[in-house]
Amino acid sequence: MQGQTERQLKASRSRLLKDRLARVGVTTGGVLVLVALLLIFFYLLYVVQPIFESASVKPLHSFNIDADDKTLALGMEEQAEIGYRFGDSGVAEFFALKDNSLAERKTGDTIEQKSLARAEQITSFARSLPVHQQFVYGLNNGQAIIVQPKFQVTFPETARTQGTRQVERLIMPRFETLNEGEPLQVDEQGRPLEQLAYATDGEGMLLTAVTASDTLLITKFVAEQNFLTGAVSLTPRFEQRVLTSAIRDIAVTPDLNKVFVLINNRIVVYSVSMSGAVSESQVIPLNGREFGQAQALNLMPGAATVLVSHEQGIISQWFEVPTDDGRTFKYIRQFDAGGAIVDLEVEDYRRTFYAVTVDGQLNVFHTTSEADLYSEALPNENTQAIAIDPRANHLLAEAGNELTLFELSNEHPEVTWSALWQEVWYEGYPEPSYTWQSTSGSDDFESKFSLVPISFGTIKAALYAMLFAVPIGVAAAVYTAYFMSPSVRKVVKPTVEIMEALPTVILGFLAGLWLAPIVEAYLPGVIAVIVLTPLAIIGFAALWQLLPTAIRSILGEGRASLILVPIVLLVGWLSFSMSPWVEATLFDGNVRGYLTNELGITFDQRNSLVVGIAMGFAVIPTIFSIAEDAVFSVPKHLSNGSLALGATPWQTLTKVVLLTASPGIFSAIMMGLGRAVGETMIVLMATGNTPIMDWNIFEGMRTLSANIAVEMPESEVGSSHYRILFLAAFVLFIFTFFFNTIAEFVRQRLRDKYSSM
Amino acid sequence: MISVSSNSASEKLDLANLTDEQRALEIKNLSLYYGQDRALHDISMSVPKHGVTAFIGPSGCGKSTLLRCINRMNDLVETCKVQGDILLHGKNIYDKGVDVAALRRRIGMVFQRPNPFPKSVYENVVYGLRLQGIKDRRVLDEAVERSLRGAALWDEVKDRLNASAFSLSGGQQQRLVIARSIAIEPEILLLDEPTSALDPISTLTIEELITDLKQKYTVVIVTHNMQQAARVSDQTAFLYMGQLIEYANTDTLFTTPMEKRTEDYITGRYG
Repeated sequence: MQGQTERQLKASRSRLLKDRLARVGVTTGGVLVLVALLLIFFYLLYVVQPIFESASVKPLHSFNIDADDKTLALGMEEQAEIGYRFGDSGVAEFFALKDNSLAERKTGDTIEQKSLARAEQITSFARSLPVHQQFVYGLNNGQAIIVQPKFQVTFPETARTQGTRQVERLIMPRFETLNEGEPLQVDEQGRPLEQLAYATDGEGMLLTAVTASDTLLITKFVAEQNFLTGAVSLTPRFEQRVLTSAIRDIAVTPDLNKVFVLINNRIVVYSVSMSGAVSESQVIPLNGREFGQAQALNLMPGAATVLVSHEQGIISQWFEVPTDDGRTFKYIRQFDAGGAIVDLEVEDYRRTFYAVTVDGQLNVFHTTSEADLYSEALPNENTQAIAIDPRANHLLAEAGNELTLFELSNEHPEVTWSALWQEVWYEGYPEPSYTWQSTSGSDDFESKFSLVPISFGTIKAALYAMLFAVPIGVAAAVYTAYFMSPSVRKVVKPTVEIMEALPTVILGFLAGLWLAPIVEAYLPGVIAVIVLTPLAIIGFAALWQLLPTAIRSILGEGRASLILVPIVLLVGWLSFSMSPWVEATLFDGNVRGYLTNELGITFDQRNSLVVGIAMGFAVIPTIFSIAEDAVFSVPKHLSNGSLALGATPWQTLTKVVLLTASPGIFSAIMMGLGRAVGETMIVLMATGNTPIMDWNIFEGMRTLSANIAVEMPESEVGSSHYRILFLAAFVLFIFTFFFNTIAEFVRQRLRDKYSSM
Repeated sequence: MISVSSNSASEKLDLANLTDEQRALEIKNLSLYYGQDRALHDISMSVPKHGVTAFIGPSGCGKSTLLRCINRMNDLVETCKVQGDILLHGKNIYDKGVDVAALRRRIGMVFQRPNPFPKSVYENVVYGLRLQGIKDRRVLDEAVERSLRGAALWDEVKDRLNASAFSLSGGQQQRLVIARSIAIEPEILLLDEPTSALDPISTLTIEELITDLKQKYTVVIVTHNMQQAARVSDQTAFLYMGQLIEYANTDTLFTTPMEKRTEDYITGRYG
């Protein structure tokens, strides 16, 4: 007896093991799914997170240089190994910012000095935009000397110590004076240049100077190349304006056709023609706002934006916007540095600028995102000048003879919550707008990273697809589950479900290259099909009821629907064959033209109608399959109960079956919506990918998913653009997560309410 | 404990020769096929008014099928084919042109498992009335109270008419279903094993209810439980293998069955 019990126990032990293995297997599988999901979630967060970090400025080291003159300008080459300064004694010098064993340089060592002008000659100083790195001394004889620091980088192979090759970078700097060292004559009459502004487009130059405190000189040098010798000669054209009040500051755009002159409470803008002819084009009044007295002008890269520094530390941003009277400068936004500004530097390419106040406070701003990225006191409160290297990852600050090199970390200044989700006034735009335009041809382009238009596009595409798919999917599901004869159902259901396996790239391809041209060519026909098919079906069903039972019973209950196939085909054929006729008689033969000219509706070939139909087709099987199961699984005894109370099948359907199946139908719709939101290939191929915000069914859109697919391959890894694409993925993730959660929540509520069987 | 005496109160009827007055329903030569299988063989019987008629028999004998023929619930089975007549007031319900929905309003049915709709108690009761387009709140309120009282449920649910029907117990749900059926005042009430999913106490309540119901309605009940048939019914039909073996007044059938098979069944030889 005991032995038998033992045997039984043994046998059950192996079963127990299998049971345990199965349990462990299932649990592991479930946990792994969760882990994978969390990994995706956190990886997205990990990539996205840096764009919300603000700037940081970390001091690396300080050193002294021996200089007994005042610094006019400070600069760095892009590796931040060598700095340079222009002194008011006319001497420019390079100094080492880091130790370099190869060149035997110690930090702070002077590498090279060059005397460019005599101290007593110098009356003014100017610099080009940072991109061009040119500096100008204005002299008391109406001449200007233009200097450019140049850096030659070599990688000499140095010591072979113990078999290892050591390659070190060696940067050799020199100052190069333009025009072969010959000063350029800015004032014909040789008067001293009291203030100076300078810009170059790489060939020609525009110099603007103030002499006798109220006389404005605008001198354009047009570069001409002698095509025999290849020598470039500069031909000046002199213009002069006498202004009534004192000039505070001047600035010149690098396209050499605008001069900004700051006088008291206004900026006068002069246009300079190709040949150098000057005309006053606009006066920008600065008064009327509580900025304080305007002190200085600065141009942002791209030169579309003018920054005006005011005495209390307000910096206002102005740029040209198209208005009814042409392009005029408008106040856009302002930044507050918190104190009078001693130096304001802009970056070479991005819309970031740095302002130092009298009490040594450093502020970092970004115009597009309106971000105050950094605001803290520099270690030395006497800081007079700063310089940013061309890569914008080092900052050099000067206080007396002490220089401090800082490490600057400001990777993604253009991204803030408001830049992503709120209207932003971009340069040259008539008003603030939601715009997605991540790249353009030029380096100094202002990136427009608004996620609103692409999120909108996602919702628009999904909505039009649902508009098409929900009525068809749900109606088909209800019919198949409730009215169709089981033998037909056995064929119909798997057929529709197979549609789900159709690769969406094929659907997208068909939609973009086959359907879109048809919709365009037969627009009245397509609209007619959409309107007439349901009407024809309902009309036919009504007629069918009137037919004698004898005829009706030929096909058998639940098979009558098969007659609809030729009916639908007929309606389709009729709609398309009458389309050209309708177009000719009602729309002068051109529906597109009629829509655009008479109704003012833009028509794109790849539009939401096409996407709605194509993506609708992709979504219908999902909706159909789940909704059909839901309706079909409504307990028979419920519908029988209703029928037994004298309800007709239709009454039973609407009052009991749909009610009970509602959680399932609802989740079917939400699953469909989730699929439509995440769908990529169809929208990519059939929408035209225009990131616009317009509900117009005849215009396209760009969705989050298509945007990622289109732009990810061309995005620089680690750039703001790259991270924002990941953010778009994250938003998509949140979208579907949100929809699914809502769906699940509502479904649970409905299920508690309507099903218990 | 439960007496069979309630039966004796009703006079004995000559089931073979009912007058039109006494007859609620007449089944004539009824055969039913599921595809090729014949489920009912040539059944003829008359159901008297204001009585409880029970169909008994072993599983698969066709008693539920026969019951479902009476309100044409078998129409829902696609392969099902019916031959023969069922006469309601002399009119064959299988005639062409009979509105099935209207027929079912006159012949209500209660199923094995309680099947309240996923609605409130109130909405369950008025469901059939709303189908007929009755919207008047007073009429509905009145019907709810009358039907729930008729189903002996009023006192238990009068304070929670707006609660979900699913909050009721199984026995209460079944009485709610009965209330729902009698709200539209049918002539005949078909009960298809109404207590088979219920506990003994609920069963007892329902059985008492059935005895009350026959005052107003003709009740036809299918039951698996011979004691139940003996307790509640006035007439009993014994079906076996799709055939009507014996149909008689209940106490006659249970005390002196004519047929050997009936005797074997009621004495528990098979079933």
